[in-house]
Amino acid sequence: MKVVYNWLKDFVDLTATPQDLASRLALSGTNIAGVENGPHGAVIDAEVSSNRPDCLGHYGVAREVGAIYKLPLRHVAPKPAESSAKASDAVKVEIQSSELCGRFTARVIRNVKIQPSPKWLKDRLEASGVASISNVVDISNYVMLELGHPLHTFDYDKVRDHKIIVRRAKPADAAGKAAPEKMRTLDGIERTFDSNICMISDGDGSRPIGIGGIMGGAETEISFSTKNVLIECAWFEPVAIRRAARFLKLHTEASTRFGRGADPEMAELASRRAAELILQLAGGELLSGVVDIYPGKRAPKKIRVTRAEILRVMGADVPDKQVEASLSALGFAPVRIDQNRGAEGSLLAAWECTQPSWRAEVEREIDLIEEIARIYGLDKFPPRLPAARQGAARLPHYEAETRLRERLIGLGYREILTIPHVAEERDALFRPNGVSPARLSNPLSEEANVLRSTGIVTIAGALEWNLNHGQRNVRLFEIGRHYRLNGSESIETRVLTIGATGEAREKGLYDAACDFSFADLKGDLDSLGELVGGFHWQQDGLSWLNPARAATIAVLENLNFPVGYAGQLARRVAEKLKLRQNVFLAELELDPVYAAMRTAKEARRYEPLPKFPSVERDFSLLLADGTKFSDVTKTIQSLGIQEISAVEATDLFRGKSVPAGKYSLLVRVTFQSREATLTEAQIGDYSGKIIYALEKNLGAQRRAS
Amino acid sequence: MPTSDIGLDKTLADLGVTQPEQVALRFAKIRVHFQEHFQTVHDESEWKSFRDRWLGRKSGVLTQITDNWLKPATPQLKRAVGASLNELRAHVESQIEARRAAIESGAEESALARERVDLSLPGFIRPTGSHHLIRQVFQEIEDIFFSIGFSVVEGPEIETPYYNFEALNIPEFHPVRDDMDTFYLELPTGAKTPLLLRTHTSPMQIRTMEKQKPPVRVIVPGKVYRRDNPDATHSFAFHQIEGLAVDSDITFCDFTGTIEYFVKEFFGPSVKTRFRPSYFPFTEPSVEFDVSCPFCGGTGTAAGGGTCSKCKGAAWIELFGAGMVDPAVYGFVNYDAKRVSGFAFGIGIDRLAMLKYGIDDIQVFFQNDVRFLRQFP
Repeated sequence: MKVVYNWLKDFVDLTATPQDLASRLALSGTNIAGVENGPHGAVIDAEVSSNRPDCLGHYGVAREVGAIYKLPLRHVAPKPAESSAKASDAVKVEIQSSELCGRFTARVIRNVKIQPSPKWLKDRLEASGVASISNVVDISNYVMLELGHPLHTFDYDKVRDHKIIVRRAKPADAAGKAAPEKMRTLDGIERTFDSNICMISDGDGSRPIGIGGIMGGAETEISFSTKNVLIECAWFEPVAIRRAARFLKLHTEASTRFGRGADPEMAELASRRAAELILQLAGGELLSGVVDIYPGKRAPKKIRVTRAEILRVMGADVPDKQVEASLSALGFAPVRIDQNRGAEGSLLAAWECTQPSWRAEVEREIDLIEEIARIYGLDKFPPRLPAARQGAARLPHYEAETRLRERLIGLGYREILTIPHVAEERDALFRPNGVSPARLSNPLSEEANVLRSTGIVTIAGALEWNLNHGQRNVRLFEIGRHYRLNGSESIETRVLTIGATGEAREKGLYDAACDFSFADLKGDLDSLGELVGGFHWQQDGLSWLNPARAATIAVLENLNFPVGYAGQLARRVAEKLKLRQNVFLAELELDPVYAAMRTAKEARRYEPLPKFPSVERDFSLLLADGTKFSDVTKTIQSLGIQEISAVEATDLFRGKSVPAGKYSLLVRVTFQSREATLTEAQIGDYSGKIIYALEKNLGAQRRAS
Repeated sequence: MPTSDIGLDKTLADLGVTQPEQVALRFAKIRVHFQEHFQTVHDESEWKSFRDRWLGRKSGVLTQITDNWLKPATPQLKRAVGASLNELRAHVESQIEARRAAIESGAEESALARERVDLSLPGFIRPTGSHHLIRQVFQEIEDIFFSIGFSVVEGPEIETPYYNFEALNIPEFHPVRDDMDTFYLELPTGAKTPLLLRTHTSPMQIRTMEKQKPPVRVIVPGKVYRRDNPDATHSFAFHQIEGLAVDSDITFCDFTGTIEYFVKEFFGPSVKTRFRPSYFPFTEPSVEFDVSCPFCGGTGTAAGGGTCSKCKGAAWIELFGAGMVDPAVYGFVNYDAKRVSGFAFGIGIDRLAMLKYGIDDIQVFFQNDVRFLRQFP
C-alpha cells in the first residue's frame, strides 16, 4: 500500500516529517519498505500485514497516525445532494447467497458526463501507482484507496431490467449437459467458475455481470458513452473470496481487501463518498436514498481487557491513561467497569471495549493487549532473562553425531549440506529395489521433482559440481536424511553419506601423489567403525557399484541387516553422470550406528598394560588367489594360542617371482604373554604350529624371506 | 721434508751427536718441521693422517724418536733426549687436539648451514576436512540457547497440514498461506491426509507441547522448504531454528530479554536491538526483531561514505519473526491458556550466516564447492 503523505492530512493534522512518520509507523506495527519523495510529495511504501485490511486505505492509516501522535481523526461524512426520484424505484437488488455476500448497496446517478479526471485526482492516483482512466472509474479507485473499501460502477443502462441478483455461480450439472458458468471479465479474459464463487447477475439472474468482490464483467463496463451509473458497494465473505481468488488465479485490489476482511459498515459510506465525488466531477443527478440489502449485519462484540492480564502477558504495566488513549483512538471505546473505577493504576482495573466494524480480527483480550502494547511502545517493556527451571538436554544422538563428524573431519572429509530435491531419473539410478520414492506433486521443475531416496544422489551431485569447477581432489560427507514412502506414510531416515574422488594425497615437497582407492575408503570407514566396536564387511554388489569393489557393512548387534554399503561407482553410472574419475561412495544408516556406539562405549573397560615384552614373527607365504586374509587369521586363531595378540598383513604382491594364480603375503604375528617373557623355544614352537596349520589348511607355501 | 732428512731412521750416535746442545738443535729442527706440516692440515682426513704421522704407535715420529734416539742413547745424552722428547710430545699433542677442535667446529658450522630448516616452506600437511558453515552457525546458536536452559529437539521435514498450518492457527485459505508456498507429496489415492514439506520449524511447537507439559524450553534446528524460485536470496530449501518457551510465568519481558541475550552473544555486545509489532497467526503479540546493522555500525552510512549496501541506509536489519504464543495454539495441545504463557521464535540460519560472514548468494551453501568449504574450517 502506497501511503501518500499529503492524503493523510485530509484526516489528521499531521506535522511530523514523512521520515519520522515512517519510523513511528514501523515501530507501531506497520512494516515500512521505504519512503520516496516523488512529484506529488512523499510516498510511504507500507507493507500492511494481512490482519489489517483497515490499513489498506488512507483513512485507516490516518487512524493509526492519530493513535500514534495523539491527533484527533476527522471523520468522513459525505452529504451529496439527492434528487426527488428514489433509487429504490430505479434498481432492485436481491441476495440469494447471503453466506457469500453479507451486504449489497446500490446507488444510481443519472446523466453523468464521463470525461478525464481533474489533475488533483490524477495526481493522487499516480502517487498511489494507479493509472487514470476516466472520472467515474477513477473515483471508484480513489474511494477504495481513501476508505479501503472496494466498489464497482456499472453502466446502469446495460444492467438488464435494472435488477441485480447476487448468487452462486452455476455449476456444471452432473449429467454433463450444462457447462459450468462462464463470463468475460473487465480484463477481457473469459473465465469459468465453480459454485463456491459469488456472482453478480442481472435481469432474471441468468447473465453474470461481475464476480462478487473480485472483478466486474466486460459487458456492463463504464465507457465514455455511459450516461447513467450504478454504484455497487458491497461486502463479501473473506474466506470465500480468498478461495475464489486462488481458484481463479485472479488476485485484484478488491479481492485483497475483501479477502482480508473489509468493513461491512463502510459499504454504505464508501458508496455515498463515491456519489459525492461523481456529482462533483461528472455532474448528474443522484437518486435519493440507497438500496441496501444487509443480511450479514452483526451486533458489535464486547471485549474485556484487565490489568491483571496485561501484567501476566506483558510482564510490565501500562498506565491507565495510555490504555484508554490507545484503545479510544483505535475505535475500541474502552469503559472502566471494575469496582475500583476511581482508582488509577488499580490492579483490579478492567475495561470493556466495543469491537469496531473495521477490526473484525480483534475478538479476544489478547488482541486488545497487543493493540495497547504496540501503541504504547514495545521498548517500554524492560527485557530480562528468565531463570531456567530444569536442565537442558542435547539431542539423544548429539554426542555420537559429534564424534563421527569430528573423526571424519580429522580424516580429511569436508561436511556438506544439500537440498534433497533431485530429478527422478537421477534418484532412480541409486534407488534400491522395492523403495517408493517421495515424489512432489507440485515440483518447481523436473530437475527437482522427487526427494532423494538416498544421500548418494546428492553427494554425487556435489562431486560433479566440484569436478566441473576444476576441483579434482574432493572428499565430502553429509549427515542428513533420506526420504521414502511406505504406502501413504513418509519415512525419514538419518544417514551419513560419504563421497571421495581424485588424489588421497597430493604431490608435495615430502610425498608423492597417491590416488584415493577402495583401501582409503575402507580404512576411513573402519576408523569410524572403531567407535562401534568394529564394522563387519561383506562382499555384496549394489547395482550402481563396481562389483569387484562393493561391500555391505554391518555392526556386531545385527550382522544380518547391514547398516550401509561402500564401494566404487560403476563405470557405467559414472559415465552417465559424466564423472571422469574414479568415485568412491558410502552410506550408513545412523540410528543403528548411534545405538552401536552407545553400546560399545558402555562396554569399554580398561585392559592393564602388559608387563613383559612382545615378540613379532614374520611369515612370508605363497597363497592361492581366492584365499583371503581372513582365512589366514582364522587358521592361526583356531590354534588357540593364548599368547598371540595380533595377526597383521604387512605386505602383499603378485607377479615377478610369484607364480601365476598365487600371491605373496607377508603376515606378522605378535606374541605377548601376560605371565612371563617368552623364550625362543616357545616362539619356535608356536611358529612351527602356525606354519604347519597354514600349509595343511590353506596349502600355503613358505617363501624364503 | 722426509723424516730421513732429520735423521729419525738413524741413532744419535750415527748422526754424530754427542753433546746435549746438539740434541737441543735436533729437536728444534723437528719442531720447525712439525709447524710447517701443521700449516697444511685443514680438514678431518688431513688431520687424521697428520695425527697418525706424528702420534702413530708403530711408526709415528714420536715413536721413531723413542726407538731410534732415546732407547740407544748414551747415558750422558739420555736425560737430555728424554726431556726434549717430553716437551715435544706435549707440544704436538696439544697442537693436534687444538686443530681437531677447530676443524670440528668448522664442520658443524657448514653442516648447520646445510641442514637448517627453511621456515618459509610449508610443513607436511595431512589433509583435514571442515564443518559446513551452516552447521557451525547451528552449533553456535544451539550452544547459546543450551546455556540458558533450552533443550534441543528435532522433527520430521515431511509434515501434515495439521501440524504445519492448522494447529498453528493457520486455517485453510488463511492469507498467510499465500506467503508460504508449499511443496506437497504425491500420495497414492485414498491417503488419509496430504503430506507436505514443512514451511517452517514451527510444527515442532505443536509436537513438543503435545508430548510434554510445561515448563517447556526447546529449540528446533532443521531444514524447511518453500516453493520459491531460487535466486541470490532465495532457496527452496533453507534452515531455521525454532524456539519455544512456555511456563506459568513467562512474559513479554522474558521474551525480549532472551532474544537480546542471544543476539548479543551472537553478534557481540555492541549491537543494538529493537522489536517492531508484526503479525503471525500463531503468536500474539507478534514482533519482527531488528538489529542495528553490523556492517555500518547502525549508522546507515558505509565506511567509505555513501549508503550502506547491507541495510540500504536503514541502519537496521530485520532478523526474524517471533512473539508470545497465541492462546489459540494452546487450545490445540490441551494447555490452559489462562495459566500458561510463553514465546516462540523462528530464526533463519542461512540469512544469519550470510549477514555475519558477508555472503551475498545463498546458493553457495548448497553448491558445496570445496573452495567455499575451505574458507570456513
